[in-house]
Amino acid sequence: MGSREQLLNDIGIVSFVLVDLGLYLDTHPFDRNAMEYFNHYNRIKHQMVKEFSMKYYPLTMDMAESNKEWRWGAAPLPWEGACG
Amino acid sequence: MQDYKYDNNIDKFPVAMAYVPWQRFEKMFDDLEKAYHIGTIFPELDKPFTGRRCV
Repeated sequence: MGSREQLLNDIGIVSFVLVDLGLYLDTHPFDRNAMEYFNHYNRIKHQMVKEFSMKYYPLTMDMAESNKEWRWGAAPLPWEGACG
Repeated sequence: MQDYKYDNNIDKFPVAMAYVPWQRFEKMFDDLEKAYHIGTIFPELDKPFTGRRCV
């Protein structure tokens, strides 16, 4: 796996961790320990998405700030193999 | 919500109802890639379906 695929894979994993922590927090809204875990992984995810978007292509529209070329439009499409 | 301990208060529970023990966050899987494949980050919720019995 190349570093682009590896980073995308890791973003998928940390996103899953956040979904599962979110489900737990939905039923345990005062569990501060779980909230600390959520905050920790949320910060990591933001860093990873930002890193990916700067190195390769924006994953979300809010990461699509561009100068010379509209980067959002230049990103590979799912049927071009961008999803793995 | 009143948090009865199942062990000590079983006689206080109304009959004919189903109860789900309350989950407590203790630890996550150390290997998050493994957790991703299992489908949960909580070791206590790792309940693979064998088609025959509970694990």
